[in-house]
Parts: sequence; structure tokens; C-alpha cells
Amino acid sequence: DPKRCSCVYFEVDLNPTCRLLGGSASLLRLYHRFRALDRNKKGYLSRVDLQQIGALAVNPLGERIIDSFFPDGNLRVDFPGFVRVLAHFRPVDDDDSGMRDPKQPEPLNSRMNKLRFVFQLYDLDRDGKISRHEMLQVLRLMVGVQVTEEQLESITDRTVQEADEDGDGAVSFLEFTKSLEKMDIEQKMSIRILK
Amino acid sequence: MSRQLKGRGEEADGGARGRARSGSPGTGDRSGRRPSRKQAPRAEGAAAGRRGAQPGQKERAGGSPRPGSPRRKQAERRRHGEELGEQGRSSTERTCEGRRKRDGRASLKEQRAPPKKEKEVPRKEEMWKRPKKHRSPSLASRPSGVESLSEEELAQILEQVEDKKKLIATMRNKPWPMARKLRELREAQEFVEKYEGALGKGKGKRLYACKMLIAKKWVKFKRDFHNFKTQCIPWEMKIKDIESHFGSSVASYFIFLRWMYGVNLVLFGLIFGLVIIPEVLMGVPYGSIPRKTVPRAEEEKAMDFSVLWDFEGYIKYSALFYGYYNNQRTIGWLRYRLPMAYFMVGVSVFGYSLMIVIRSMASNTQGSASEGESANFTFSFKMFTSWDYLIGNSETADNKYASITTSFKESIVDEQESNKEENIHLTRFLRVLANFLIICCLCGSGYLIYFVVKRSQEFSKMQNVSWYERNEVEIVMSLLGMFCPPLFETIAALENYHPRIGLKWQLGRIFALFLGNLYTFLLALMDDVHLKLSNEETIKNITHWTLFNYYNASGWNESVPRPPLHPADVPRGSCWETAVGIEFMRLTVSDMLVTYITILLGDFLRACFVRFMNYCWCWDLEAGFPSYAEFDISGNVLGLIFNQGMIWMGSFYAPGLVGINVLRLLTSMYFQCWAVMSSNVPHERVFKASRSNNFYMGLLLLVLFLSLLPVAYTIMSLPPSFDCGPFSGKNRMYDVIQETIENDFPAFLGKIFAFLANPGLIIPAILLMFLAIYYLNSVSKSLSRANAQLRKKIQALREVEKSHKSVKGRTTVQDSEDTAKDTSKNATQHQLTKE
Repeated sequence: DPKRCSCVYFEVDLNPTCRLLGGSASLLRLYHRFRALDRNKKGYLSRVDLQQIGALAVNPLGERIIDSFFPDGNLRVDFPGFVRVLAHFRPVDDDDSGMRDPKQPEPLNSRMNKLRFVFQLYDLDRDGKISRHEMLQVLRLMVGVQVTEEQLESITDRTVQEADEDGDGAVSFLEFTKSLEKMDIEQKMSIRILK
Repeated sequence: MSRQLKGRGEEADGGARGRARSGSPGTGDRSGRRPSRKQAPRAEGAAAGRRGAQPGQKERAGGSPRPGSPRRKQAERRRHGEELGEQGRSSTERTCEGRRKRDGRASLKEQRAPPKKEKEVPRKEEMWKRPKKHRSPSLASRPSGVESLSEEELAQILEQVEDKKKLIATMRNKPWPMARKLRELREAQEFVEKYEGALGKGKGKRLYACKMLIAKKWVKFKRDFHNFKTQCIPWEMKIKDIESHFGSSVASYFIFLRWMYGVNLVLFGLIFGLVIIPEVLMGVPYGSIPRKTVPRAEEEKAMDFSVLWDFEGYIKYSALFYGYYNNQRTIGWLRYRLPMAYFMVGVSVFGYSLMIVIRSMASNTQGSASEGESANFTFSFKMFTSWDYLIGNSETADNKYASITTSFKESIVDEQESNKEENIHLTRFLRVLANFLIICCLCGSGYLIYFVVKRSQEFSKMQNVSWYERNEVEIVMSLLGMFCPPLFETIAALENYHPRIGLKWQLGRIFALFLGNLYTFLLALMDDVHLKLSNEETIKNITHWTLFNYYNASGWNESVPRPPLHPADVPRGSCWETAVGIEFMRLTVSDMLVTYITILLGDFLRACFVRFMNYCWCWDLEAGFPSYAEFDISGNVLGLIFNQGMIWMGSFYAPGLVGINVLRLLTSMYFQCWAVMSSNVPHERVFKASRSNNFYMGLLLLVLFLSLLPVAYTIMSLPPSFDCGPFSGKNRMYDVIQETIENDFPAFLGKIFAFLANPGLIIPAILLMFLAIYYLNSVSKSLSRANAQLRKKIQALREVEKSHKSVKGRTTVQDSEDTAKDTSKNATQHQLTKE
């Protein structure tokens, strides 16, 4: 029984974690992945472990994504933490939406939480706003040296101008969600964990 | 009773509302302004799904991830894919994987989901009042109980089955309309049938398990079949590969090429199946009549390669060309009416092409209708969503960097262009100058071709002409096609247009060049044809007299009839139709060769040189002057269109031309795929593929129309040759229709056709058509105007909202931000406590 299995591995109650992923089979799968990444079998992941993932290594925002695995300046992430981050990417089930209890916290894979996850990648100082400066930094990561500083600034200005609604020169989460209203986030930020 | 009815109505409403509300944020966003597009269809889908729970279920098991409107999503995805350049491949892979995986889950879902839906039915009203109590257990149990049904769920199902049974029993007493009763009854019965087995022990359960297994296997089979279908699309993987490296714009050329190949394959089937194969199987064999025999004078050299290469000799007297066909009304034991079939196939080639081009244009337009929505947040979209997180290959990542950079650059160019203030007089002067220069070029090239064609007519009368003199026309045309486009591009640099507009101008000019060339070529050819036609009368007399003299020659025993003259010795006309066919055949082949040689020299050898000489060269060859070639989309697409025009024009006089073209397209698919992957680099300028696609189609339509004209002219107003081709001996080619109507149809049909052909009927019909076109055109115009107005209104609304918000100041926003933060904190706390 895979469910038992996962509990035996950790000797902790994994039910909440399990619930995050929507199934113990995917949890098991994820656990194998976790162990594969954990090279020295130390039971947690460090930054170096994540940096060896190819897709993250070439990603301009790779460092930011890795950062999001280590909230509050931790240096290691254990399996529940790992799962909690990845739960953002769980596909939205069709039948979920109607059946949820409004009093309960929104599941991590909801549209809002997916967006919030992305937002945090851009929001360096976590003040709830993407300032012009932060945007410029991300942009520099994304286009490298081929664009002049002047052009970069004009792009940033335009972006802020587009998305900014209250005129404070920064993009808040609200404005962020608004500008990505048309984006099919539920589809794009979904990873199906193979069984 | 009436209460129940009301409850039922409310339930749908409440369900929709409940969904909308529960979808609204628990963490942030107090404004409640959520992407309503997503929500509404889902709510609808849910409401509908309850009424027809089973079908909805099936659909989901079939893999559709969400009951949203699929086309819209597709359009959105495609748009996004364009922006992201290379996302296409990876995302398809992803969905593939996702599907494979969903297989396993689908059946479970199927088994699990209905109870939930059904459970809502009887309790909707209570649920609306205190939703938590009834919903939470299912919520808690559901995610963990994926593998098997939990006790609780089993109990629920049991309860529902009981409910349903009760419903079936009391159905008769309900005050519902009959249709609804029937529907409910059917649903309830289905449900009971489906889930009773799950609850029972022993046989029932095994039956149920078996059923589930079959359903699972069926879903898997459908999925596999779908994958198989995708794999069956020819060259799909090749094109995806190119798309991932070179972006959608280059891939669009190959998709266009594939489309063209499909169209040509159909034309090939039409012509080969209905004209060439019947002729070969049932027609009079080679050598039996003069038109099917190589003349005595050419016999010696008829098998030489140099002669065959020019489509003379045996090839000229084969079923590949018009002249080979006999004018017998029917051939073979099938009594196949070959001349009629020849004519009808010639017409239907154009008919089919017109239909298919217009249809694909229309479907393209429909697809692009939803574009322009994202115009509001171009930069935000690019900034936040342009990276494809599935890229794991560093080379692909480099490409992605480049494409993001270029797309940003392009947006900057757009921005600058929109608020550029320049010396308008200078710009105007330069543009006029550039256009003047280009018109000079065009005229010059047109005259050059005319001159060369005239000269070639001289050469054709002479004996012993050299290889160059024989192929002068083709060489000059190919050279013009090679050197004029770069020249135009150089001149166009004067104009200082926005690159996208510049590209369209460039396309238009090259198109004009090709078209001008083609038409000059046609005019010269027409002169040739008229010359041959005027000679025809004398040749006809000569033939007549030769035969007459042969049979009445003195010195032959009158009593024994003379053996008929050998067909090779009969003097015959020049058969202008075959000459035209040969001309098109040659042009097609030489065009193909020039294209391939250009690719080999210009792309492959250049790439080899740059790659290997870079080690021992003074400057950096790769980054510096020669560098690698880019794939020339516009040139290639126009070449393809132009070539297709020649096929359309020539296929009437050379039925084998389509076969050659099919081969050409096939080889060029492989050859160009290889060349692109091996020796080209991705574009600097990313241009949107889907929008220009219709531009290509428009050009294709124009070429089709223009190539229809000369063919129609020759069919309608030139007399066919007297001694070759299926229409020989007739006054005009279309007489074959009249002949068929008179001989093969009953008399009254002939009368009807005569009526229909009456100008008194045709002119009103044409007028009516014009009126219809005018009406439809004005309707579509007004609709598009209304569309634009609505879009403007939305834009204005957005502006107003924006200014309103900024006036309102920061305080409110701050408030909402705070609350959002609070809620998110709550959410995390919840998570923590649960842990």
C-alpha cells in the first residue's frame, strides 16, 4: 500500500502533505524524485541539489525559484517543504472548484496561489510590490547584455505604466493579477506528477 | 410539489453562484474582480452537468481538462505560443505526458465524481444555507481516498442509490412535464445500474470491476489512438523540431509547404486517376497514330539524354503532354469519354484549388478574430510570462534568450515608431526615390525577359544552337529571381519603414517581380502560339497533299491497296499546346534545380566555410561578415507560390506536371528541412506567423486567379491544333461539352442547358451575384466597424477606470493590500496548523 509506504519512510504523519498533492501515488513519485535529487542521502535538499536540475540551471529566474524553496533564509528544505512548494503546480481539478468550503483556506493550486507564487519570484524584497528596480533586475537577467540600459529602462517604464493602476510606480499583486487576467495560469502552471 | 419545482430551479442558480463564490479568493483580492471568463463557463458546465451528469462525466474522462470553450483557449494558447516562440514543442510534450498520466486517473474520477454531483441534488437547498457541514466530509475524504472508495463514500453512494430508487418509484406522482420525467427517469436508472454493482458483494462487484477495467482500457485505447493519429501527420516531428529551433515563423513556411503538398497530392490523384491512367490503360497504344509517334526526323536522337532532359523526344510523345491524347470520343471497353474527362479535370483542378484556398483563408480569419485582446498588456505579458520553464537544454535556452530579446526589441521599435517625429519631407523624398528605383528595376527585368524570349524564338528556328542559347530564358529568369530581391532589400533600406510594413512591401515587390516575369514570359509564349497557329493552315494543306499524293502516286498497282503510310512519316503541325506544356515543364524543373543549388552553395557551403575556416582566419567569421545564413522566409514562400502558379497554368497542357511537382515538393521538404537544421541560424527579426499566413494565402489566391486567366483565354478563344490533343478537329476546346450533351444526354436536358446558356439568363444571374456580394460585404463591414467600436469602448472604459483609481489614491489600495496580506497569512497559518 503506497500510502502506508510513504508514512513509513518518514515516520511522521504525511496526511496533510498527501492532501496537498491530491494523492499518495503522486506523493510517492515525488518522494522518489526528492531522493534522486538528494545526492548525499542527507534527508533534505540544499541549494546545490536544486541547482543541478538542468531546467533550473538555464532558467534566468532559476535562482529565484530555488529561493522560493527556502523561505525565511533556511538552508535546507525537507520533504514536506518540498511538497508544499510543488503543490502550487498541481493541476486544478475540474470538480474541485465547486465543492470547496469557503471557510477553508484556498488550496495551494488555486489560481490566486499560483499567481502569488509567480509574483514572489519578481518581488525580491517581499514588500508586496514589484518596484521598478526589481523589474529592471529581472529584465537584465532575461535579456542579458544585448539590449542597452536605456532600452531596458524604457521597457520597464512601459511595463509599469501598463500595469500600474494607482500610480504609485510599482506593480502590486492586485495589479499583477489584473494584467495576467487573460493568461491561462491554471493550465500553464500545472505539472502532472507521473505515477 | 410546487416547492420542489422551485427548489429545483433555484438549485441550478445556487449551484452556479456557489461555484462563482467559492472560486473567489480566499487569500487576496477583495475586489472580487476575478477572471470571469474562466468562471462563467465552469459554472454553466456544472449546472448543465448536473442535469446530464453522465455525459459530462464521459467527456471529462475523455480528457478534456476543463469545460471552457476550447476554441478560445486554443487561440489563446496559440497566441501565447507565438510570443514565446519555442513553447510549442515542449508544451505538446507536456500535454502528451499529462494525458498518458490522466489515463490512470480518469477511471477513478469517473467512479468518484458522480456521487458528489448527485449528492447535491436532493440537498441543494440546505447546502445553500449551511454549506460547510455537508461539504466538508467529502472534501476531507476525497483527496486521500484516491485509490479506493472509502467507507464513507460507499455509504454515500448507497444512500444516493436508495434515493434514486425512491425517485424512480415516485416518478409517476411528480408534477413535471413528460420530457423532464423521462429524462430524470433515464438518469436515475443509469445511475442505479452503474453504482449498484459497486456496492454489492461477489458477482455484482466483480462485474462492476470488470466494467471499470473495460472503461479504463477503452479510455487508454482512445488516448493511444489519438497519439497514433498525431504521429500519422506527416513531418510533424520534423516541423516541431524546426519550430523549437527557429521559431514559429520559419515553421510556418514548412507548414505551408506541407499544406501545398497535400493540395498537389489531390490534384495529382485527380489528373492521374481520371486522365493519364485511363489513357495508358485503354487508349490507342504508342506508335499507332501520328500524334503518338516520334517523327522520322527526330527518331535518331529521341532517346538521347540531352534531348530527354529538354522534354523532347520520347517524353514529348508520351501521356505526360497534351498532344499525345487522341480525339476519339470514347476509349476502351469502358467507353470512357476521355476528351470530356480531360476537359472536366482541367476545370476541376482550378475549382478545387479555388475552393481549398478560400476555405483555408476563411478558417484563418476566424481563428484570428480573438486576437487583439491582449493588446492592453503587451509588456507585462512579455515581462512576466515569456520564459518557458520547461526548457532544459542550454542551446534551446540560448535561443529563448535571443527570442525574448528580439521580441522586446520589436516592441521597443513599435513604441518608438508610434511616437516618432522626423523630417517628413526627407522621408517622403526617399520613399518616392526608392519606389522609382524599384519600378525601374521591375521594368528593366520585364523588358529583359521579353527580349530573351523573343531571342529564344529565333533560336528555336535555327539548327545547332548551343546549350546556353536553348536555356537562356530559364537562366535569365532564375538569375533575376536570385539577384533582384536582395537589391530590393537594399533599396528598401532608404525608405525607413517599420520592419513589419517593410517586410510586406518587400513581399509585394518580389511578388510583382515574379508576376511581371511570369506575365512577360506568358505574352512572349502567346506570340509564339499565335505564330504557330498561323502556320497551321499551311501545314494542314501539306499534310493533306502528302497523304493525297501518297495514295494516288503513279507507278503503283491500282488493284492492290497501298499499305497505310507509317505514322512517323506523316507531316504534322507544331502542336502549340504541347509546346506550352514543355515550356512550363522546363521552367518548373530549372526552378527546382536553381533552388536546390542556391541552398547548397549559398547556405551549406557558406556554413561549412564559416565553420571550418574560422580557425585560421583574420577575423571572426561566425560573428563578423559572412556569418551563417538566415532562412529566407519571404523568398521561399513566394517561390513556392509562384511555382504553384506555374503548375496551375501548365497542368492543362502537361498533365504530368503535377506529378513532377509532387516529387519536387516531397524532395524539397526533406532537403530544406535538412538545410535549415544544418546550416541556418535563427532569425534576428521575429515576425508573427499566423497573421502573415493569411497574407500568403491572399497572394496564393491572387496567383491562382491570375493563372486562371491565360488558361481560360486559351480554352475559350484559341482553336485547338488540328492533329494533336483530345480536342483536335473541334473549333474550340469547350465544344466537347456541347458534343457530350447532344450525344449522351436526353434531348430535353440539352434544351435546358441551352436555356441556361442564354445571355438573358446569365446576365441577371451575374447581377444577382454581384448584389449578393455587395450586400454581404456591407454587412461584414458594418459588423467589423461595430467590433472596432466595442473594442474602443472597452479600452476607454479601462482608461477611465485607471484614472479613477489613481485619483482615488493609495489609501484604498493599501487597505485592500493589507487585507490580502492578512488572508494570505491566515492561509499559511492554516497550513502550518494542519501540519
